[in-house]
Amino acid sequence: MSTPVSYLDNTGDDPAVRARLVVGDNDFHSVTEKVCGIVEQPKPPKFWWVAFAASSSLTLVLFACIGYLVTTGIGVWGLQVPVGWGYAIVNFVFWVGIGHAGTLISAILFLLRQRWRTSINRFAEAMTIFAVVCAGIFPGIHVGRIWFAYWLFPIPNQMSMWPNFRSPLLWDVFAVGTYATVSLLFWYMGMIPDLASIRDRATTKLRFYIYGVLSLGWRSSNRHWHRFEFAYLLLASLATPLVLSVHSVVSFDFAVSIMPGWHTTIFPPYFVAGAIFSGFAMVVTLIIPTRKFFGLEEIITARHLENMAKIMLATGMMVGLAYSTEFFVAWYSGNTYEAFTFLNRAFGPYAWAYWTMVTCNVLVPQIFWFRKLRNKTLVLWVASILINVGMWFERFVIVVSSLSRDYLPTSWGYYRPTAIDVLTFVGSFGLFFTLFLLFVRFLPMVGMAEVKGVMPQAHLDRPGHRGHGDYHGDIAGVEVV
Amino acid sequence: MPPMKNNNETGLTYWQSLDELASTPEFQEAVQREFPGDDWDRLPPATRRQFLKVMGASLAMAGLTACRWPKEEIVPFAHRPEGRTPGVPEHFATSMELGGIALGMLVTSFDGRPIKAEGNRLHPDSLGALTAIAQADILQLYDPDRSRRLLLREGGQQYVKGWSDFEAVAAEYFAGDGTGVAVLTGGSSSPTRAMVRDQFLKAHPEAGWYEYEPISRDNEREGTRLVFGTPLRAQPKVDAAGVIACFDADPLFDHPSSLRLAREFAAARHPETGAGARLFVTESSFSLTGVRADHRVAVPSSRVPVVLARVAHLLVAEHHLELPAAAAGYAGAAGQEISEQEIDFAKLLAADLAGHRGSGVILVGPRQEPAVHAFAAVLNQVLGSTLEYTADPDPDRPSHIEAIGELAAAMASGSVKTLLILGGNPAYDAPADLQFKDHLANVPLSIHLSLYDDETSQHCTWHLPQAHGLEAWGDGAAWDGTLTMRQPLIAPLYDGRSASEVLALAAGLRVTSGYELVRENLRESASAVDFEGFWRRILHDGTVEGTAWDIVQPRLDPGRLAVAVDGLRSLLDADLPSADRPEVVLTADSRIWDGRFANNGWLQELPEALTKVTWDNALLVSPATARELRIDDGEIVEIESEGATIETPVFVLPGQARASMTLALGYGRMAAGQVGNEVGVDAYRLRTTKAPHVISGATVRGTGRSYSLATTQDHFAIDTSGFKERNRRVGELVREASLDAYLANPEVFHDHEHYPPLISLWKDHEYEGEQWGMAIDLNTCIGCNACVVACQAENNIPVVGREQVLNQREMQWIRLDRYFKTEPGLGSDEIDNAEVVFQPMTCVHCENAPCEQVCPVAATQHTTDGLNAMIYNRCVGTRYCSNNCPFKVRRFNFFNYHKDLAETSKMQFNPEVTVRARGVMEKCTFCVQRIEAVRLPARNDNRPIADGEIVPACAQTCPTQAITFGNLNDPKSLVSKSREEKRSYAMLAELNIRPRAHYLGRLSNRADDAGPDARGVPHGEAESHGKETA
Repeated sequence: MSTPVSYLDNTGDDPAVRARLVVGDNDFHSVTEKVCGIVEQPKPPKFWWVAFAASSSLTLVLFACIGYLVTTGIGVWGLQVPVGWGYAIVNFVFWVGIGHAGTLISAILFLLRQRWRTSINRFAEAMTIFAVVCAGIFPGIHVGRIWFAYWLFPIPNQMSMWPNFRSPLLWDVFAVGTYATVSLLFWYMGMIPDLASIRDRATTKLRFYIYGVLSLGWRSSNRHWHRFEFAYLLLASLATPLVLSVHSVVSFDFAVSIMPGWHTTIFPPYFVAGAIFSGFAMVVTLIIPTRKFFGLEEIITARHLENMAKIMLATGMMVGLAYSTEFFVAWYSGNTYEAFTFLNRAFGPYAWAYWTMVTCNVLVPQIFWFRKLRNKTLVLWVASILINVGMWFERFVIVVSSLSRDYLPTSWGYYRPTAIDVLTFVGSFGLFFTLFLLFVRFLPMVGMAEVKGVMPQAHLDRPGHRGHGDYHGDIAGVEVV
Repeated sequence: MPPMKNNNETGLTYWQSLDELASTPEFQEAVQREFPGDDWDRLPPATRRQFLKVMGASLAMAGLTACRWPKEEIVPFAHRPEGRTPGVPEHFATSMELGGIALGMLVTSFDGRPIKAEGNRLHPDSLGALTAIAQADILQLYDPDRSRRLLLREGGQQYVKGWSDFEAVAAEYFAGDGTGVAVLTGGSSSPTRAMVRDQFLKAHPEAGWYEYEPISRDNEREGTRLVFGTPLRAQPKVDAAGVIACFDADPLFDHPSSLRLAREFAAARHPETGAGARLFVTESSFSLTGVRADHRVAVPSSRVPVVLARVAHLLVAEHHLELPAAAAGYAGAAGQEISEQEIDFAKLLAADLAGHRGSGVILVGPRQEPAVHAFAAVLNQVLGSTLEYTADPDPDRPSHIEAIGELAAAMASGSVKTLLILGGNPAYDAPADLQFKDHLANVPLSIHLSLYDDETSQHCTWHLPQAHGLEAWGDGAAWDGTLTMRQPLIAPLYDGRSASEVLALAAGLRVTSGYELVRENLRESASAVDFEGFWRRILHDGTVEGTAWDIVQPRLDPGRLAVAVDGLRSLLDADLPSADRPEVVLTADSRIWDGRFANNGWLQELPEALTKVTWDNALLVSPATARELRIDDGEIVEIESEGATIETPVFVLPGQARASMTLALGYGRMAAGQVGNEVGVDAYRLRTTKAPHVISGATVRGTGRSYSLATTQDHFAIDTSGFKERNRRVGELVREASLDAYLANPEVFHDHEHYPPLISLWKDHEYEGEQWGMAIDLNTCIGCNACVVACQAENNIPVVGREQVLNQREMQWIRLDRYFKTEPGLGSDEIDNAEVVFQPMTCVHCENAPCEQVCPVAATQHTTDGLNAMIYNRCVGTRYCSNNCPFKVRRFNFFNYHKDLAETSKMQFNPEVTVRARGVMEKCTFCVQRIEAVRLPARNDNRPIADGEIVPACAQTCPTQAITFGNLNDPKSLVSKSREEKRSYAMLAELNIRPRAHYLGRLSNRADDAGPDARGVPHGEAESHGKETA
């Protein structure tokens, strides 16, 4: 390791040693203190109140927009013929995409034994749930007769009508529904031991009862742990294919249609890569200020951020590859409609959106090649926001630019969002942040039990494995060679 | 029971009449037998079905005798007459008069509410079709803005009055010999009104009589007067014509007989029968005839005579035509400066005319000076043409412009003390230099009868509510003179009266009811022995066969000819318009006409055929002139002419003549009603008695401000890649070939189809009974918009307003896609001239429908007879179907568009068609209600549905019969046969959607086609598709 900047820097790549996943002078107790302390403060810090006031106001804006929409009609949005889907579907795909990182981190990285996931998985999973909540709103409110939206569910009814199982929108209902359910279960189940910790430390009756109920009678017995870990493994195995399937199915909304620019077989992998890309970007965007404000830099370390930057670099390149493959196929297929759609994306009326997307999604992540840049928290943070912007525009480009110029030139159009469109979108961020702020205030945002499992203290009984296997770093206070 | 005369509150009064059955001979016989039902002995042994038939007929007849037809009063039913089934529509023949020409209609009435107007097959100007305007007139009937009461404006106050108040003072107003009395009316062909006029003038011999129509064919009339000595009415026939030459004329659209002419034209262009009339058009702005032309040259209106003179010159010089000596003076034409394009056009036309002596026809448009008409009449006479003449019904009538001028002068001099204005809106539409509105203040007593309390009414002492055409008795004459009846479909909703009734009141006639007046007049003129029978028959037919005027064989009057030729020569010597001093051509609007339909939402929202602009008029400017003047598309310009200045947005239209700009009249109304107020720009402010049609030497300046015109289709100002792509696609979507190429190689329309084998993921539907299909002939479609309004009326399609159209949310189910074709290689900024093609586009009912597969709630489904049905009450409005529709023919209810509809407007709704809720998708159903209306009785009778029995609204009203509908399972049906034709193709077939509506390729018939390959659909290289090969 070259000259360490501070003890917080654990980004070094010394093949002889495994970097520490928790830095500083931490033991099990201090981790518990740090994480539970946030929840147990009698009053949240000032910045929390400021953020909460802002985000809950935006949530009200969201609900006001929805109320106006329901009472007046879809016409309050900028939709038209040919562009029948606009902000609502863009936002839906955007939020579902965001919701990918959490389950990826907690399930896939779990199965792949990526121990560094432990510090961030709770956080990312929470983000997933809230993103899926935001995503779920949009398909519900974008239909013309919202009061009949439940017809999309296969509920036995007096009309003896099933939904149309050929429709990708119905597949969406199943895919997103399953994903939301499994993610929620996974998140909640993983949280049970930590909820029990808070219960055990409770100083007030109210807290004792609430967390007592939430922790479902967890007593940390051996049998509990055995069942817990087994169930966790099972859920992780269940959730893993869902990470891949949900965005694949969302992409079918487009791929199964016959619109040029939509009807492409590349969509499922392209959407999944994009979703992971955007999900990680959102985790980074959120986690950087959170770890700073709540003083969690020792648990959510620079190395975590760096790992996520590397994933963003990889998935960003995949997305870039997908963009170029689309162009190649549009030309190679000889389908003139397809060819024009892509030409039109890059040089037509929506070229501004296309180039915003390319810049943010393909060019911006290239800075992560440089260790210095990716380890600069501020640079990383700004880049992650730009990636979020780019990924939103990716969906905008796919949905709007393809629809706006389809087969018959006489029906070509140009979609312009209205103020209500924009406010609804901004309002959904309000809801997202509101839920998120409530989460960091009331629930343990780091999986304490799991973090403790990757601390050197957990492996004192296995000195022979020093430097290998599960063993990460050294016991606090013992210098690494 | 006493008649209920005053029904303003509910507006619901029911009119009863003979139902259609009543006039079949068997039926009439039965009626006369008085007790037909008793005649059981004569019946063959009855089966149950026959018994029911006979019973049904007896009941129907019982109804007829019981209702004591005819009865003048319109009586609400306290008891339902026997034989009349509520919910079963009835049809009545009636007519609509526009500009003094009656057009026969057949109006569908549902429980006493007229809901839809169609053409009357028996009427010579309709032949079953109806113009967009005439169809939309029914909406005007229910217009909530129509005036509902008499108004008296005195001393700055306004009083609400009743008819009895007016009747009380009318005798006083119209006492004496009529000195100081003037009557201003619109043009009319009504014999009844002529009779009342004569009576009025007999009672008041000193009264002045003036007839004014802002839009008329007076120039044509005056032109015939110039050469024949007496005004004649030209009766063009184009079915037998080999060459049709139009000089600023639009016989297919802008002519009282346009529906008939369009039908004839379609017949003359049918490639399968080998007929191939060739159409030459020279004009300043695209007309629908110009769109269909084989040869078109765009020249300013004031240059049209130059081209005509050059044609004449070539005929004389190269084709040995002998003109009368007096006509030789035109020869200055040869010396005129003339462009290469014009020369080529003139050469081809002259050669063709010379080759078709006796079967060619030269038509001149109503905006050309009388001298041009006169000269064309000479050419037609000398060449021999398919044009015939009838006498003018009122030869002594001064022209409308003269009449209004005389009246204005009389008003200015103060000699008019009492002015009765019957209909019209002169304060708005009289030429601006007459200052009619100001002179109106000079008239102590002015009375205006009008549908609306409009611009004129507001400056008159009295406003009288007029009865709508569907509320009043009357008659009229077709363009060829055929007597046409008009009967009311409903009692006046707002207590209005017709012009004849008010005039009869002013004349002091004993009888003032329209019904009695019409009958009285007819009784005098008709020689029928059985008047009642005759009366019933003509009401049923709507027209009287054999009443057309006689064809006259006019003689050229050599003495007058010289005058005409002098007039022509002065036109030829006139200065040419330039971009700095362009001419501005004022035209009737194709939708709201002279402005009288400004408050009609259907017409306001009807896309103008070429520009696709709704809810506005715009100054049409050629691209080259726009570039020269540095005017942008959509920019507001200032037009100045003779001291008058108006500001109007510009629409840059390829194919417009350079230095010639066109602006439609009829907009910018201030007292039209909620719909029509302040829509567009009032072009009448530029109109003068000297230059009512073509204003020369105007100045046009850009203001730098811009305005969004609500078009239903993007116009050509577009980015380069989109422009190129659109050009590339058009030839694929709208397939065209020259007639020669097609005859040489009938596969020419399919040669360029390249796609892999089409395999479906789903099992095919199977059809045992019927499966419906449609064929749309692009060769005969002229883009007249009649189908759009027919569909709107039939299917309860809402009007959404300008803002929504700007947002691309128009709701019309059928649209006419318009494409410009330009020479290859031109960029969007180099365009000037262009050709135009139309393509009617509605749901094609794909067999393998992309919309059906993606709807999550199965709200759009295939029916057992092949329709792609939309189930409104299942639709939740995901709009996925619309996204996945390659033709984008689905329409979404973004708002509750019916929310603010007046109760009266709701009366127009077709009860057979669901009024769609907000949040629901809708689209063309192939008029499923019409299919069911035929299918159910056919099934009851256990008989197959005959071909042609089911006619969707669009096909029904199409003047050229370009739309064919029928059963594809029946190999003998017209639609199956048209599917067999080599011109038949499916759009976007490569998507494997298998549309049920096919198109028949468009053919051109240019004189200079070198051979079979010259204008075929290009094959192979994709770049060449859709480009014209020059």
